[in-house]
Amino acid sequence: MKLKRFLLRYYPPGIILEFEKGGELKTKSIDLLDLSPDTDAEGLIAEIRSTEPLITASRASQVKHLILRLQEKLGQQEDRRFYLFKALQAHILPLTNVAFNKSGSSFITGSYDRTCKIWDTASGEELHTLEGHRNVVYAIAFNNPYGDKIATGSFDKTCKLWSAETGKCFHTFRGHTAEIVCLAFNPQSTMLATGSMDTTAKLWDVQTGEEMATLNGHSAEIIALSFNTVGDGLVTGSFDHTVSLWDIPSARRIHTLIGHRGEISSVQFNWNCSLIATGSMDKTSKIWDAHSGKCLIATASADGTARVYRAASGECTARLQGHEGEISKISFNPQGSRVLTASADKTARLWDAVTGVCLQVLEGHTDEIFSSAFNYEGDTIITGSKDNTCRIWR
Amino acid sequence: MGLLSILRKLKSSPDQEVRILLLGLDNAGKTTLLKQLASEDVSHITPTQGFNIKSVQSQGFKLNVWDIGGQRKIRPYWRNYFENTDVLIYVIDSADRKRFEETGQELAELLEEEKLSGVPLMIFANKQDLMTAAPAAEIAEGLNLHTIRDRLWQIQACSAVTSEGVQDGMTWVCKHISARKK
Repeated sequence: MKLKRFLLRYYPPGIILEFEKGGELKTKSIDLLDLSPDTDAEGLIAEIRSTEPLITASRASQVKHLILRLQEKLGQQEDRRFYLFKALQAHILPLTNVAFNKSGSSFITGSYDRTCKIWDTASGEELHTLEGHRNVVYAIAFNNPYGDKIATGSFDKTCKLWSAETGKCFHTFRGHTAEIVCLAFNPQSTMLATGSMDTTAKLWDVQTGEEMATLNGHSAEIIALSFNTVGDGLVTGSFDHTVSLWDIPSARRIHTLIGHRGEISSVQFNWNCSLIATGSMDKTSKIWDAHSGKCLIATASADGTARVYRAASGECTARLQGHEGEISKISFNPQGSRVLTASADKTARLWDAVTGVCLQVLEGHTDEIFSSAFNYEGDTIITGSKDNTCRIWR
Repeated sequence: MGLLSILRKLKSSPDQEVRILLLGLDNAGKTTLLKQLASEDVSHITPTQGFNIKSVQSQGFKLNVWDIGGQRKIRPYWRNYFENTDVLIYVIDSADRKRFEETGQELAELLEEEKLSGVPLMIFANKQDLMTAAPAAEIAEGLNLHTIRDRLWQIQACSAVTSEGVQDGMTWVCKHISARKK
């Protein structure tokens, strides 16, 4: 084994080692999820060296430099206020979802007008219109971190794969018998998963456009899905009130997470794939052990409020109160210090993740906000609304 | 409402829950009618740039009413909303005689749609509170409604602003849902 070079990952903090083994180039990551500006760098290096043979004494100073760089990034002040940068008359009918590419240089919007549009974030200029779907474009995604492809899932029961650069359609994936409402690329960008109102999820080969597997087992619509960080596990959430965990290589169901008393609205793995978080229309969210499928924590929340919980203990650390309507999207900024919520009350709100204080109310949309997203740097926000516009805040 | 609630309403509805599609030209009074059904204030209504959905309880049914904008540029998108429709309500501005031909044409096209085949049709001859409004019988004749043989249909004179005639129309709607849902 020969270490070739280091790669730095800011969010979440980590160092990627690129090394040669048997003539092949491989990578592995040292995750430093608990790193903070106060962490003792020397102590951390000693700890890394005790478990990682690739980090030899001669490399220690390099690693220290990387750790300091990560700490510097983590320590950067970020009490940024967001101002409306541009309001785009994006579509002639309501928007469904919005998504950034990794660098945040461009973003995409899906709409009831059956198109998906690619936008330049800095200029607000429309780069491409992806036309071809015969009904609402509902689910959209970039194949981040690469960002050279876009997938769109439609109420026309098909999913399409597009070039982000040229806007050309590579493949149309046919097979679902009802609306496609969620989709995700695996982290390697070799596979696409789609979830449908037909109660199944399907896996598709990005290269050939062929169907690889159908995940059967839910008894009602699948409306949320998410890959784990490695790409060998997929979690699906359904209107049947359950969550399923699937092994990707075998396309088999490993666990069914039963406990919610309402439709599942959202599912997500944590970074190291040990926990699964689920949100439900029963007004609760739960955190599950990904390996045993056991429910670790159940937490209740009220209408129009959001909460932040410590995943390990289940303790509610912050209550985000203020919205006057249903919350449709919630997300952390990549640094984990802010929470962004989008609501039917026509506002998006920015909260301090630790104290739960509302830092800013993003006002201006004239109808419900359906979607919101942070870029990777956490310095730009986009919101998509039923008012047919999309707003960029920075 | 939120995106997820829209998905939930998209499903084919259980018994006693009905999906009603509200269509018609721009300025026909669809949104006013929707708000009247929901007993909301009808004094400030602007052109619909997309759609509105409201759930209304009526005669033992939960009516999920989808009001879709009627402007010419968004009419091609009406098809997005056809799936699982139990009753079609078509609204006509009875005082806008210049556009009777246009509204008749749009209605004829809707009745050709496969996904709406056999779906009961309620036509509201709206704006009867205006002096210049054409009576329902005249509109029925102008639109050749008597030639419709592939579905149940009814025309009802009404004013969405004063609510006159609206309940009568909805009584017909509820009566004929039950026939279809069974």
